[in-house]
Amino acid sequence: MSVASAIKTGDAAELPGKRDEDWRWTDLRGLIRQVPPDSAPAAAVGAGPFDGAAEEIVVIANGEGAAHIGVDPHGDRTVALRIVSRGDGSHAARVSIDVEADGRLTLLESYEGEGSYLSQTGLVFSLGVGAQVERVVLAADDAEGVTVSEAEVQLAAEASFGQTVITGGARRQRLQTTVRHPGGHANLRLDGVYLLADKRHADLTTVVTHEGLDGVTEQLAKGVVRDQARGVFQGRIVVAEGADRTDARMGHHALILSDRAEVDARPELEIYADDVSCAHGNTVGRLDEDALFYARQRGMPDDVARALLTEAFVGEVVERIGHEPARDIAAAWVAERLRGG
Amino acid sequence: MLSVKDLHAEVDGKEILKGLSLEVPAGEVHAIMGPNGAGKSTLSYVLTGRQGYDVTSGKVTFEGEDLLALEPDERAAKGVFLSFQYPLEIPGVPALTFIRTALNAQRKARGEPEVSAPEFLKLARAKAGELKIDFDMLKRALNVGFSGGEKKRMEILQMAMLSPRFLILDETDSGLDIDALRIVADGVNALRSPDRAMLVITHYQRLLDYIRPDRVHVLSAGRIVASGGPELALELEREGYDKYARAAA
Amino acid sequence: MAAVKQTVEHVASLEKYKHGFVTDIDQEFAPKGLNADIVRFISAKKDEPEWMLQWRLEAFERWLALEEPDWAKVSFPRIDYQDSYYYAAPKTKEGPKSLDEVDPDLLETYKKLGIPLKEQEVLAGVQGAPRYAVDAVFDSVSVVTTFKKELAQAGVIFCPMSEAIREHGDLVRRYLGSVVPVSDNYFACLNSAVFSDGSFVYVPPGVRCPMELSTYFRINAENSGQFERTLIIADAGAYVSYLEGCTAPMRDENQLHAAVVELVALDDAEIKYSTVQNWYPGDPETGKGGIYNFVTKRADCRGDRSKVSWTQVETGSSITWKYPSCVLRGNESSGEFYSIAITNGRQQADTGTKMIHLGANTRSRIISKGISAGKSSNTYRGLVSAHPKARGARNFTQCDSLLIGKHCAAHTVPYIEARNGQAVFEHEATTTRLSEDQLFYAMQRGLSQEEAVQLLVNGFVKDVLQELPMEFAVEAQKLVAISLEGSVG
Ligand SMILES: Nc1ncnc2c1ncn2[C@@H]1O[C@H](COP(=O)(O)OP(=O)(O)OP(=O)(O)O)[C@@H](O)[C@H]1O
Ligand SMILES: [Mg+2]
Repeated sequence: MSVASAIKTGDAAELPGKRDEDWRWTDLRGLIRQVPPDSAPAAAVGAGPFDGAAEEIVVIANGEGAAHIGVDPHGDRTVALRIVSRGDGSHAARVSIDVEADGRLTLLESYEGEGSYLSQTGLVFSLGVGAQVERVVLAADDAEGVTVSEAEVQLAAEASFGQTVITGGARRQRLQTTVRHPGGHANLRLDGVYLLADKRHADLTTVVTHEGLDGVTEQLAKGVVRDQARGVFQGRIVVAEGADRTDARMGHHALILSDRAEVDARPELEIYADDVSCAHGNTVGRLDEDALFYARQRGMPDDVARALLTEAFVGEVVERIGHEPARDIAAAWVAERLRGG
Repeated sequence: MLSVKDLHAEVDGKEILKGLSLEVPAGEVHAIMGPNGAGKSTLSYVLTGRQGYDVTSGKVTFEGEDLLALEPDERAAKGVFLSFQYPLEIPGVPALTFIRTALNAQRKARGEPEVSAPEFLKLARAKAGELKIDFDMLKRALNVGFSGGEKKRMEILQMAMLSPRFLILDETDSGLDIDALRIVADGVNALRSPDRAMLVITHYQRLLDYIRPDRVHVLSAGRIVASGGPELALELEREGYDKYARAAA
Repeated sequence: MAAVKQTVEHVASLEKYKHGFVTDIDQEFAPKGLNADIVRFISAKKDEPEWMLQWRLEAFERWLALEEPDWAKVSFPRIDYQDSYYYAAPKTKEGPKSLDEVDPDLLETYKKLGIPLKEQEVLAGVQGAPRYAVDAVFDSVSVVTTFKKELAQAGVIFCPMSEAIREHGDLVRRYLGSVVPVSDNYFACLNSAVFSDGSFVYVPPGVRCPMELSTYFRINAENSGQFERTLIIADAGAYVSYLEGCTAPMRDENQLHAAVVELVALDDAEIKYSTVQNWYPGDPETGKGGIYNFVTKRADCRGDRSKVSWTQVETGSSITWKYPSCVLRGNESSGEFYSIAITNGRQQADTGTKMIHLGANTRSRIISKGISAGKSSNTYRGLVSAHPKARGARNFTQCDSLLIGKHCAAHTVPYIEARNGQAVFEHEATTTRLSEDQLFYAMQRGLSQEEAVQLLVNGFVKDVLQELPMEFAVEAQKLVAISLEGSVG
């Protein structure tokens, strides 16, 4: 049972729903009675958000397009991957990304949607020893769209994978990353930002399994929700038996700016090894009243002070993006969302 | 300039200020001294409008206008500045961004044009230089990871850049080394002028050696129990608060 | 250091599971298995009114339609519900009217139990013994309740559930099942059909219960399930503190314990409920035997400014599945959950709490300390939710796990649902092992390894221990020590 197979078979019963523990807050089964027909090929797709920051642009429109991105040993590529949805149909795509030993890849991934589509994208990342990947995702879906993105990442020793997912949500949206972490001083960063207004929904789900000695995972996710929006964060860190000296840290912090918005979180630790140091912190609430007073004492009106502090709250995640042009694009996108809301 | 009459205020339902009266004319510097827990910081928060500090009776006017009716930022725009006893850390906001946002908000409220970015940077560089603050520190998130003394200096930098008209310094001297104390005092003295006034809360005569007060008040158990000239501070330094604590009780 | 030394001495003097003896007294059983007739039999044995029988039968019908849950992180062979006794009672003619009428063998049992030490003295009426009232439940039946008269003077009702059903029928009818509905979950539903006894407490408006109330549960008979039902009502402005202790003999067969506890706190009322659970944990090597502890505990903070606090020290049972919860319905009501859960050998525990914020300005606080050793598995599972009307709701959760050994597991599964912008939730969790540095430091100062572990573990659980009433805190500290014996080295 999966979204991909539901799209393939057209059988809505294949969709996950709230009875599935990992989908309890992102119920697709109850939302979609009938899987929309297959999407027609998309017409012109226009420009993407990362066009200026990448050397190459790969477009997958309504499920059609290149399916493989490779980096040779010691190679270095910066690729913008545009996943475009147009219209009211359903479509799925699979992309495999192989970065060989000591190769470097900056993947600037965007979800660009218009319409009330159902879209699923499966990405399979495979990293060689010492490979370095930075993945920056900007998800700008339609308020009527339903999007599921499922990435599977296989790390190797000494590899590093840094990810920042930034989303404005959709009618329903799940951005999921599953990482198999072999330890061996491989480094993992899994960051996320969701900025939701109106009735939008976004679900950031991550599962990291530490399978060997000396693994590091660092995770920081932040969300700002207003109106009747709903943000979901599910982060699970598994440390298998024998994966000693694992160091895993997870933080999720959300601000709810209206009376009817909602944030659901499940930060989970599943530990089968004893020599570990794992921690998670989770806060949901309002802006810090003391900081707000401090800013107002210096002369900022309430709305100015709130905007400044909210931007700073999210800025802590955006600042961790390593690729500078991508960071600037992400920061501008975030600022616009926050001010527009 | 500032006039406080029979002010009663409570925090969490507990009365802290119990009929406090105080007059600070323009051009004067008044010091407030008093034992721990007397209500000095409470007074500074009531004057600046912090939430949770509820005025139950009494009056505060600033240049004839009812100060208590104004929002915190409106008071700031009128020129009321508080140097916090415990300055807050503002993660994610570079000090420069914070100060520029505050400055422009105040100017806007007063109907003045915004300062341009180059103009602002020039000003910031100059003031940082005067206060011996490393300019790079202004690019870091405000007060995050700053030492106690650095935070206090950052308060004075903000004060210098916002050039307020009524200054409240709540124990700005505590945590400062001798050099920093002098620098801070110079910064404060630079703002002394006939149309400004100051309320300096402190536990130590030392600061008052640098910032000569016109009047000294003793705040004990929520009220001003004694007032006098600069010599009162010296007497307190010698004899402590014993006799005033008894007077208040 | 005096406290540490004392603990260490105590530990040395205690064997592994000292409660594993069987009392040889005549027992009366209902036939094995479960059907409507057994339910009727239990009800008839208790001389229950017709409404109670109907309530049970209805629960039984519903239970047949439910399925055993499987979401907890525990695994065990399927339970054969037909291979168990649902009613076992020590044979006596009538309920004992005074201590003299209680079977001496039974009193001997309590003497042997030792934990809680003081209750034996209380039962025996020793002069100068701490004054707290005890209701002792032996298998399914309440044997004796002490201090009844004195409590009655204060207007407090403290009696076996069976007696309450007969004598305070209107109160029981009004509140029973009002916190944990009959078909709330599989085990609660089973309990509703077959519960045999338990304690009932009612504290009238404005009364501060003059002493601690305590129930002492023991499973004795082989192959018998124990299904107690506890109902505590604190009327407006009332206060009561209630303690619950549990032991069971060693057996090769697993025994089922499926209790239901319901607490109701009206306006300004406060209930403090403490548990020290030390059921037989099963064989540490094979995991054989031990109690299946599937318990539903829930408090309804129905009144404004009401307060319920759960404190538990869970060291026993082969499987624990239990989430003492608070429904914070009244405005400004508050709920607390303090827990120490220790697993060793082959034990599995899946425990935590739910704090459901419904009223405005409700507060909750969760402090959970899990320790896993041996080949055990220890899961904290919790839910904190704020509904749209729960403006100003606040929660603080601190959830720490300590691992001792290479083959144990610790999991943390918090669910957090915030449905309004005025709620503030904070949650922190850590999983670490015992610090080598601290161990070394303590050993350098002359403590043995066991003693050093003791010391550090005591520090780890201190925040929870101090929530227990004094008498229990000392016992609990010893229990913590015993449970971890042999886990290091
Ligand atoms: N939230 C609060 N609830 C109850 N009492 C409070 C609260 N905040 C402050 N107080 C009390 O108010 C009194 C005055 O505090 P305040 O901070 O104004 O003292 P202070 O004169 O500035 O002392 P110090 O010299 O130590 O800075 C103290 O007794 C303090 O404990
Ligand atoms: Mg103070």
